[in-house]
Amino acid sequence: MRSFMKKLYYDVKKCLGCKSCELACSLAHSLTQDIFKAIKEEKKSLPRKKVHSSKGNNYPVSCRHCKEPKCVDACMAAALYRDDQKDMVVYDQERCVGCWMCVMSCPYGAIRPNILTKLAIRCDKCQDKDEPACVKACPTGAIIWCEEAEVKV
Amino acid sequence: MSDAKQKSVDVASQQMIEQAEAQNIKIVWDRYDTMQPQCGFGQLGICCRICNMGPCRIDPFGEGPQKGVCGASADTIVARNLLRMIATGAAAHSDHGRDIAEALLLAAEGKAHDYGVNNPVRLREIATLYGIKLDGKKDLEIAGEVALKALSEFGQQEGELRFISRAPKKTQDLWRKLGVTPRGIDREIVECMHRTHMGVDNDYKNIIMHGLRTALSDGWGGSMIATELSDILFGAPNPIKSKVNLGVLKENYVNVVVHGHEPTLSDVVVQAAEDAELIKLAKKNGAEGINIVGMCCTANEMLMRHGIHSAGNFLQQELAILTGSVELMMVDVQCIMPALAELANCFHTELITTSPKAKFPGVTHIGFDEKRAMEISKTIIKRAVENFKNRRKERVVIPQETMDLVAGFTAEDIPYIIGGKYRSTWKPVNEGIISGRLRGVAGVVGCNNPNVRHDFGHTEMVKELIKNDVLVVVTGCSAIANAKMGLLKPEAALKFAGNGLREICEAVGIPPVLHVGSCVDNSRILIACSKIVEEGGLGESLSDLPVAGAAPEWMSEKAISIGFYFVASGVFTVFGTPQPVLGSQKVTDFITKDLENIVGGKFAFEVDPIKAAHLMIAHIDKKRQGLKLKPMMYQNG
Amino acid sequence: MKQFVIIGNSAAGLSAVEAIRSRDKDSKIIVLSDEEHPSYCRCLISYYLAGDVKKEKILYRPESFYKDNNIELILNKKVTRVDPKKNRIVCQDKSAFDYDSLLIATGASPKFPDTKGIKKTGVFGFRTLKNTMDIDGLLAVTKSACVLGGGLVGLKVAYALKKRGVDVKVIVRSNQVLSQILDPEAAGLVKKKLEDNGIEVVLGEGVSEIIGEEKEIKAVKLDSGKAIGASLVIVGKGVSPNIDLVKNTDIKTGMGIISGNTLATNIENIYTAGDCAESFDLTLGKLAVNALWPVAVEQGKVAGSNMAGEKIQYDGSVAMNSLEFFGLPTVSLGIYNLKDLQGYLELKTYDRGANVYKKVVLQNNLLVGAVLVGNINSSGLFLKLIRERIDVSTLRDKLLEDNFGYPDIMDLVKDKEKLYV
Repeated sequence: MRSFMKKLYYDVKKCLGCKSCELACSLAHSLTQDIFKAIKEEKKSLPRKKVHSSKGNNYPVSCRHCKEPKCVDACMAAALYRDDQKDMVVYDQERCVGCWMCVMSCPYGAIRPNILTKLAIRCDKCQDKDEPACVKACPTGAIIWCEEAEVKV
Repeated sequence: MSDAKQKSVDVASQQMIEQAEAQNIKIVWDRYDTMQPQCGFGQLGICCRICNMGPCRIDPFGEGPQKGVCGASADTIVARNLLRMIATGAAAHSDHGRDIAEALLLAAEGKAHDYGVNNPVRLREIATLYGIKLDGKKDLEIAGEVALKALSEFGQQEGELRFISRAPKKTQDLWRKLGVTPRGIDREIVECMHRTHMGVDNDYKNIIMHGLRTALSDGWGGSMIATELSDILFGAPNPIKSKVNLGVLKENYVNVVVHGHEPTLSDVVVQAAEDAELIKLAKKNGAEGINIVGMCCTANEMLMRHGIHSAGNFLQQELAILTGSVELMMVDVQCIMPALAELANCFHTELITTSPKAKFPGVTHIGFDEKRAMEISKTIIKRAVENFKNRRKERVVIPQETMDLVAGFTAEDIPYIIGGKYRSTWKPVNEGIISGRLRGVAGVVGCNNPNVRHDFGHTEMVKELIKNDVLVVVTGCSAIANAKMGLLKPEAALKFAGNGLREICEAVGIPPVLHVGSCVDNSRILIACSKIVEEGGLGESLSDLPVAGAAPEWMSEKAISIGFYFVASGVFTVFGTPQPVLGSQKVTDFITKDLENIVGGKFAFEVDPIKAAHLMIAHIDKKRQGLKLKPMMYQNG
Repeated sequence: MKQFVIIGNSAAGLSAVEAIRSRDKDSKIIVLSDEEHPSYCRCLISYYLAGDVKKEKILYRPESFYKDNNIELILNKKVTRVDPKKNRIVCQDKSAFDYDSLLIATGASPKFPDTKGIKKTGVFGFRTLKNTMDIDGLLAVTKSACVLGGGLVGLKVAYALKKRGVDVKVIVRSNQVLSQILDPEAAGLVKKKLEDNGIEVVLGEGVSEIIGEEKEIKAVKLDSGKAIGASLVIVGKGVSPNIDLVKNTDIKTGMGIISGNTLATNIENIYTAGDCAESFDLTLGKLAVNALWPVAVEQGKVAGSNMAGEKIQYDGSVAMNSLEFFGLPTVSLGIYNLKDLQGYLELKTYDRGANVYKKVVLQNNLLVGAVLVGNINSSGLFLKLIRERIDVSTLRDKLLEDNFGYPDIMDLVKDKEKLYV
């Protein structure tokens, strides 16, 4: 049973900007779960995490599952809601109409539109896995998966 | 299924994998697991590190960058990376060939007394091929000229490699028309590096066509020189019985594992181990004797010429040390895991490097010198003997498994075996194919790779092929894999082969799977195919033949080069896990589809060995139809 | 125990209810709505009409929401008057409710121009689920329709009608579509996208008359004299706040009901939020009505919290619109057009090949507006910069780059960074 209280933290000094997390994320959310096939899927799985660079450092950016999520307030389709027990913002794709209000309101720029699928691209903490794919994929251990109290570098 | 069983189908290996786990020693499979997930950019071939504007990556999911900083597309990047792999593979085989040629030259010049001409017949054949006049010349004299001519092929600038002329004429003409006939071995490899430098060749087709040329300079050049000149120096292999697998390590003997590729040192080591003084010393140290065993392709070289036992293939190199029974492992070049140094430190095993091209930090290096080959061999074996006393008996775990096999088939001896002493001919093979008793011939070659269950790809594929009356020839790590599974025994025909193949095997007394040598000896397969065309009735070019190739567990760049020279020669070739090209649809299509219309051969990627075998069978059947051959005599399976 | 009365059952009303309930489990909450449906996603009615959203997905909260949260919901109840002196509201049916604390979240209604024939059957506004179902009922016999107005509602309904196989023309008085949220360049891109997908847009034309029988429209007549055949007309000319219920009271109004920075009106126990409220606009620096779903939710939340005893300050609203037609995402924030404005600076990029247009509007190094078409990835960051009134002078070269990301603004925003360690 995985802990619901774990969050993603990043040891920026260790991030090399290799984008392995991006690719692992795409793959983890693809239909085929096979990199060789995933890149040929009709509606390609786009990464929910993007590595941005600023002033010589690299920062993986993805949904933080805010305590007071602006995206949830903005969602006019009630497709987003916060599940406090799971400590995350849950996305009901069935309800989403692709209006991109969430994209517009995310203060971290962590949600992007997938124009093809009409679905928002946002981190789901890899709910179906024991830990997020990006954590496993990071070759330097720059992505830390732990509870708030445990975070240390 | 236990973890070890998932990692390997070989029982001896399973046992040693469990040993490693019990001793908490990390080996190749553990490192493979730690490496997961592996970099998708690398797997797809879309990471470019060629210049310092990069590194660049193409986003395979289409959202991010589709061009490198220089503007290179995924197609260009994938093709350049692939060409560099071909170049490296061709370089490795060819440099091996160069070393053999140099040894032959030194022997001819009388500077390397431990070597001589052991196959005057082949010497003269090759000399004739090189246009060397034979009249009245002594062996060594001819050998010198052959060696010089062979060496000149490396630096040759214009014209064609001489061995190209051994291919069927129609195949040669096609290569000329396409401009892929190799001019010189080194030249093609150098040109790969030039073309893939930043901002040179940006047309993926043009890049890959040069890859074909480079690969041909390996198969019909460097590798073939290695094979032929090794046969001249050390004698041509003939069918010989031996044993394989980790069980060939002996509990009360000084065990020396000879690992790597080139036969120059290993061949002398075999003789040195018979030295009475050394055996005496071994006994004085409490051993019953000295046991030389091979590993990887060095094993194949020693096995097919001297019947020396093989301890295993690529993924077993660590496992041999883990038995705790290896006094010394001597290595030369290629496929030697860097991990061995640290692993050897966990045991009493002494690791010795011998090639100036391949050293390990902190590992004893005893540089090999052809001029002092026996002396150096003895020095090394002596160290092994002296190390026997350091063996900790309580740590020795040697798996019981060994398997008998027959090795040492060559393009030259197969006709004798199947045609009889007085009527050496390929006719029985051709007739077998034409009559539908034999479906065709498949070459199953290449490495091991922890991304495929160890030996599973090789053995399952081969069993499926022979079940369907396909005669299989094997080399390298595939040969050892199939040997361990018992497929290289004549009896295997009874158990595994289809009716037609079994009849032939029984009639001539051969196994259904023929061990034709090390990985440079894939050149023997090219020669055999050419001879089959020459024999007649099966078309005029190599691509007409009902043959196919496969590298189900490939790992190295050499495998890529081998694959490309087979494809360039017109052979349909299946790789297990894909080459790192799938990041470009165009390159993928070019090598898996379009090439067939250009050179007759093409690639397929299929990791399931049974499915892969059936791709090969389907291709062979297509070729049979093209030749309007009779339907298969037996419906097996 | 207090009695909270909420007039309005949409974004502002409901988020206020949730804010109150999360703080006060016991007090009575009465929600009054003049509509017949429980709270639904108002902005989804065009998607519903188009067939993109099924009816069961249009509810904003599950049907059990009111019961689960112990809320008394009264539908079909139009409140006509607020009596601040008696702390009482009176409804059209003469019923009355007393309150300790009142939220006026009555929303807005479509504006209907004074065009000849506009009262005929077959002319609709597009605001409610009822409108939607009425229009839906006619589509089986509707071949062609006209949409009056090129605002967001007009274009969304045009999309829905097109999707349902109706031949649709959009008649726009101004020289661009979406003149209330986009500059002409961005509007041009949207218009082209619509036209490429079969929605005809007529610019610079007013409608002088709706022709036909009382119960059967035939055509709309344009100012130019030209007539366009249509059996259905939808009016999308903007909305006006529903503030009649506070007319002739002490509650201050302008365009809407005027709220202070706690979202209370000038009467201490009366709050307002959403489309009927006129509140401080951060980018304009003055009062304005921003009749937008996310603004309504935000205001409802603040108002509700304060009604339950909190002292939360509302910084002000920002105009924010996100839309997508046929795969062209578009966002507009704050000040989007400098037509009559002085002292602002625009930075733009326009990649015609990729159909990507981006513009930011700066005032004294503060970001006060943005328009993004084709690539809206930066929009949330821009909104953050606008809301927090951050000096962006060090970011000027980066703002419009495709890889502009949160790390670029990390050191400038108010919240201390916790995830990057």
